[in-house]
Amino acid sequence: MDEKKKTETGFGSDALKDPRRIVFITKKTSAKVKGDVGRQAMSYPKLILREAIVLEILTILMVVVALFWDAPLEQLANPLLTPNPAKAPWYFLGLQELLHYFPPIVAGVLIPGLVIVALIVIPYFHVNVEGAPLWANSSLRRLGMFSVVVVVLLIFFGIYQAWTIFIPTLVMAGVAGTTYFLPGQGGRFGTYLRARPLSWWIMTWFIIVAIILTEIGTHFRGPGWSWVWPWR
Amino acid sequence: MTSWENTIERLRRTPVWQSLFRRGPARTNRTRSVAVFGNIFLHLLPVKVRDASLRVRATYYLGSITFFLFVILTVTGVLLMLYYHPAVPEAYQDMKDLRFVVSSGVFLRNLHRLAAQAMVVFVFWHMFHVFYRGGYKPPRQFNWVVGVGLLLLTLFLSYTGYLLPWDQLAFWAITVGTNIISYVPILGQPMRFLLLGGHGIGENALLRFYVLHIVILPLFAIILIAVHFWRVQKDGGITLREEHGRKEKD
Amino acid sequence: MSEPKNPTVSSSLEKPEDKEGLSRRDFFNEIAAGALGVAGLGAFVVSVRYLSPNVLFEPPTNFRIGPPSDYQVNSVTYLANQEVYIVRTSDGLFAQSAICTHLGCITQWKPELEMIACPCHGSKFRKDGSVEHGPAPRPLQHFAVRMMPDGELMVDLLELVKPTQILKV
Repeated sequence: MDEKKKTETGFGSDALKDPRRIVFITKKTSAKVKGDVGRQAMSYPKLILREAIVLEILTILMVVVALFWDAPLEQLANPLLTPNPAKAPWYFLGLQELLHYFPPIVAGVLIPGLVIVALIVIPYFHVNVEGAPLWANSSLRRLGMFSVVVVVLLIFFGIYQAWTIFIPTLVMAGVAGTTYFLPGQGGRFGTYLRARPLSWWIMTWFIIVAIILTEIGTHFRGPGWSWVWPWR
Repeated sequence: MTSWENTIERLRRTPVWQSLFRRGPARTNRTRSVAVFGNIFLHLLPVKVRDASLRVRATYYLGSITFFLFVILTVTGVLLMLYYHPAVPEAYQDMKDLRFVVSSGVFLRNLHRLAAQAMVVFVFWHMFHVFYRGGYKPPRQFNWVVGVGLLLLTLFLSYTGYLLPWDQLAFWAITVGTNIISYVPILGQPMRFLLLGGHGIGENALLRFYVLHIVILPLFAIILIAVHFWRVQKDGGITLREEHGRKEKD
Repeated sequence: MSEPKNPTVSSSLEKPEDKEGLSRRDFFNEIAAGALGVAGLGAFVVSVRYLSPNVLFEPPTNFRIGPPSDYQVNSVTYLANQEVYIVRTSDGLFAQSAICTHLGCITQWKPELEMIACPCHGSKFRKDGSVEHGPAPRPLQHFAVRMMPDGELMVDLLELVKPTQILKV
């Protein structure tokens, strides 16, 4: 292509030979810097050194504990004899506790499946990204929806007599509802709670129920999955 | 002290050292940058980090600890493999051998078991911490999903490892767990059959869990860990407390 | 595809195309995609076939349990190796699975309670296998029992029967 001619006339008429560059400037964009990132440090050596120290401390702690604590080993597996009670690994005991209350399709498939899906979709919901306080607009509609969901959940847990889930749910919903009806009270803790978004309430509820169920499954269940007190 | 530094300095000038690192001592910001992006492992990390993200309170090193536990598990796991047969009842006898015959065998098994439990704890803790910091928000949505994948892989890894000692605890925990799968509509029974390689938990199931535990799941975990680290860097570093407009006092 | 506003510019950026039907390039693209799909599906099916063992070394599914006189009236006998209960009532005799229908734990006969209890999640079954309470969704599975010509009984684990079917002895 004749380079000289191009600079003189700008563009040739054949778009295949001289593709045009067009810049679109849409609304809400500009070339301005997004924000000040603040002071920065070089990863090497500052970050690497800290990570190395963490690795060292962690390894030392693990080795020390491993020297004094023995991994459990029971009898040789016997398919003919179920130990009583037969417990899953501790992190699945919450799930096993659910299996005690609900039919397996609900406790074993539906609930864990929903938890995983819920975790994955968290970042793709506008309400979670925005993170506005739960009662930001003091909207009655939201309070209505909230109450309906809570009542449905409570009825569901009540039907299956899952009181160890029913009570924490009731308490959590009660606290969340109280922050709606008592604006400006409760001191710093009240102010803190009122600023929490919906996702915070759901996640906190999930963590509390999960911890309670795991704890019950670990220490409060004996032969035949009956209730026992760990100190007896 | 000075003789030590002299030795290092002389070592640095040898052709072998220079072929290994292809850079001078990391005394300037340029060579410090090269130290990170010129290294295949370190290049997953950013060259620079914000001062604020170096504070302990920014991360509590939860993600790092989870990763280092994975490293400890890999090292101890490979060593344990040298004395383990995935067969019935040799698997159980190997556990007894590790305890009573192999030097440091019981220590390695303890360390492996302990680190496995700790990794489950820390992976959850890390996730909850990231959640409360708003670390799932744009532009970090995808890395949150990768993290959920790593959580599931951690649980599967721990679960498949649970069967390997072939004791009563292992056998019945896996029996209960795999029977849950059979409640999945339509596909449940075939999936359980494929996972166990039979109708019940036997030699085939042990071998399958072993292969999952030592090859397939760690491989996926390593890939996802690499993506996870890479995306932390590409998505603008770790989430700081101030980032999402929730200015709170420390 | 919508018609561009300035056809001379935008269409000249694309390759000349036969508007009537598939271009040669589209045709080959579709053939290639189809071939990949078929190959992928085939690989999946073959992999699943490979992963399902064809020969299993599992316990036999039918076995002899001796003459009916071995089992007293109103007794529940647990056969450990086959994981079945042989229950004899005044009506007759039947065989039912000892595997809990909830999550596959081995249940235990509790004579003092006249109940079959599961240690894992607390399910309880009556003597006839029906669910007394607990998370178990179905009654215990009953298996066919037959009288052999030599007077011994035989249980077939592959022949599932209704709880009402009882062998009169």
